[in-house]
Amino acid sequence: MSQHATAMPPATEMHQEPSYLAVSNVTKRFGAATVLDSLSLSVGRAEFVSLLGPSGCGKTTLLRLIAGLLAPDQGAIEVGGRDLTRVAAHKRNIGVVFQNYALFPHLTVAENIAYGLRAKGVPKAEQAKKVGDALGLVRMEAFADRAVTALSGGQQQRIAVARAVVVEPSLLLLDEPFSALDRKLRETMQIELRHILRNLGITSIFVTHDQDEALVMSDRIAVMNEGRIEHLGTPSEVYARPKSLYTMEFVGQSSRMGGVVKGSSEGLVEIDTPFGLVRAPGHFMSGSRVIVGVRPEAIAAGEGPAGEYNTVRGTVAEVIYFGSRTLLHFQTAQDGDRLHVELNRLPDQVAPGSAMTLRWRIDDSRVFPAPTETGR
Amino acid sequence: MTLARDNLTMPAAPVSRWQFDAKALIAAPGLVFMALAFAVPVLMLVGDSFVDSEGLSLAGYRKVLGDPYYIGIIGNSLQLACITTAVCLAIGYPAAWALARIRGVWQVILFALIFLPLTVSIVVKTFGLTIMMRRDGIINFLLVNLGFIERPMRLVFTEFSLYFGMVNVFLPFMILPLYSVMRMLDPRLLDASASLGAGPLHTFLRVTLPLTMPGVIAGGTLVFSISVAAYVTPGLLVGDRFMTMSQVMAKAYLNIRDFQLGASMAVIMLVISAALILASSYLVRAPGGEKR
Repeated sequence: MSQHATAMPPATEMHQEPSYLAVSNVTKRFGAATVLDSLSLSVGRAEFVSLLGPSGCGKTTLLRLIAGLLAPDQGAIEVGGRDLTRVAAHKRNIGVVFQNYALFPHLTVAENIAYGLRAKGVPKAEQAKKVGDALGLVRMEAFADRAVTALSGGQQQRIAVARAVVVEPSLLLLDEPFSALDRKLRETMQIELRHILRNLGITSIFVTHDQDEALVMSDRIAVMNEGRIEHLGTPSEVYARPKSLYTMEFVGQSSRMGGVVKGSSEGLVEIDTPFGLVRAPGHFMSGSRVIVGVRPEAIAAGEGPAGEYNTVRGTVAEVIYFGSRTLLHFQTAQDGDRLHVELNRLPDQVAPGSAMTLRWRIDDSRVFPAPTETGR
Repeated sequence: MTLARDNLTMPAAPVSRWQFDAKALIAAPGLVFMALAFAVPVLMLVGDSFVDSEGLSLAGYRKVLGDPYYIGIIGNSLQLACITTAVCLAIGYPAAWALARIRGVWQVILFALIFLPLTVSIVVKTFGLTIMMRRDGIINFLLVNLGFIERPMRLVFTEFSLYFGMVNVFLPFMILPLYSVMRMLDPRLLDASASLGAGPLHTFLRVTLPLTMPGVIAGGTLVFSISVAAYVTPGLLVGDRFMTMSQVMAKAYLNIRDFQLGASMAVIMLVISAALILASSYLVRAPGGEKR
């Protein structure tokens, strides 16, 4: 199963496959506020998809709609070809791992895991075997008879996962399951959970506001903003070729500079920015106001061949040392601009005030329409 | 009441649990008052129950526990308290749930509806009921005019009116402890239960009820122990037709001047209430209490 999961085709090809989870044109309003606006999403079998966005973007609402804990105002939700839109939560067989784990405080670890089996009327002997297997899966065998309240955050997290997967749900939803863990533990748990879910081949939807988490864990990421999906793609697509300025800004660090399109030819546009002329792949009318974005680690010090590279000069404003790498902030001339450069090795004698020549590949430049005052 | 769960985490300092803490002195005024106003009279009452005109005697207890008339009265009081508690629980549980789950202005309105009656004196409330339940009262008026009954029926001085009045007076005392426990119940536990395939009934029996049991026990104990001792409401609504322990005590002291009889009855009632409170605090702690 794990071989199958790791060898999965890239997400862009997956669109043709019949989708396992299909969310179609779902709208949800709370009073006057539209939280989800005709949103659609399809997820393939055994795929791990993250819903990434800031708080209030609708990602948790979408999760609760899929789980059946909320009902949509419009639209449909199907899993494995079965329309679940009007099916009650407890009849959907969709597992949920909650943000605070929501373990039952009056039950032991084993009783928590057996809860779903018991609710479904699984015979006692089979319950015990499945609970044992689930405890083994999350490496918590020794804790079966403990009170859940006596467990640490990481242990509670494992039990919450075991409790959700033991009933063999058709879909697993995870609502910011790592947010209560400290950074070190979180990184360990991310990899471990990903491993467990791959081995089980469970289709998973993972809600997070942490872009690093989404990049590490996902087959695909749905970047959400104001109730819509801005970009759905593999982690590398979302990071390296963001479809919108919002996605570029939300996922990872970025440099950005505003400018006006001077002209275009052969799929490249030439943009006049305060840092000089910059070229980027794209199609824009001359005179359009645009924003050019580049990832800080795509920028290097020194000049490069003019046919492939953009070259600009800037003055260092700040040097931020991270140990394995150094981040340089450059001075900018207009509001909203940001020139951040990440270097693995700092050239000698670079200090605030130094002038530097910088280069990045034309292919690494992204160009987006500049947001207008009245919005997009 | 010793029912409030001790959720405070004690500081980890190596202090013996019996070492005197000077902060306890702050409670001194309250303790002194309670000693004078509660402990001394109760001890005197207990003393009275063992004394008659000729000295030490158990005649009071022999009279109360040996006479079917008085046993019947103890039974009346227990029956009254049991039924009142059960009805208050049945009505109060959903009300407390609504109160704990609702938000905003409706919560304020519900709160007001449930707790404003507490500000009205029991005597006023109970007299109000007797007016409503009279032969020419509004209930009979409606029943007759809507064609349910031919002519006015007797409502006041029936057991029905007694239970009606008791629930009227004591319902808020059931709702309040239930509400405070339900407010702390994480709604995500119910979501988790549903996501694991448990229907509403299963969720109620296996999650909601066990986790709100401390509120049920607290509310039940409170309502039982005050309704077993109720005096005003039974007196006004049924009078001598339905004698309770409190009425016997009052008669013993005020009418027949048999202090030993009154004191013995009072001590028996005290034992019933104390046993109930001890049992309930044990219940709250015992099953799964330590786990939480």
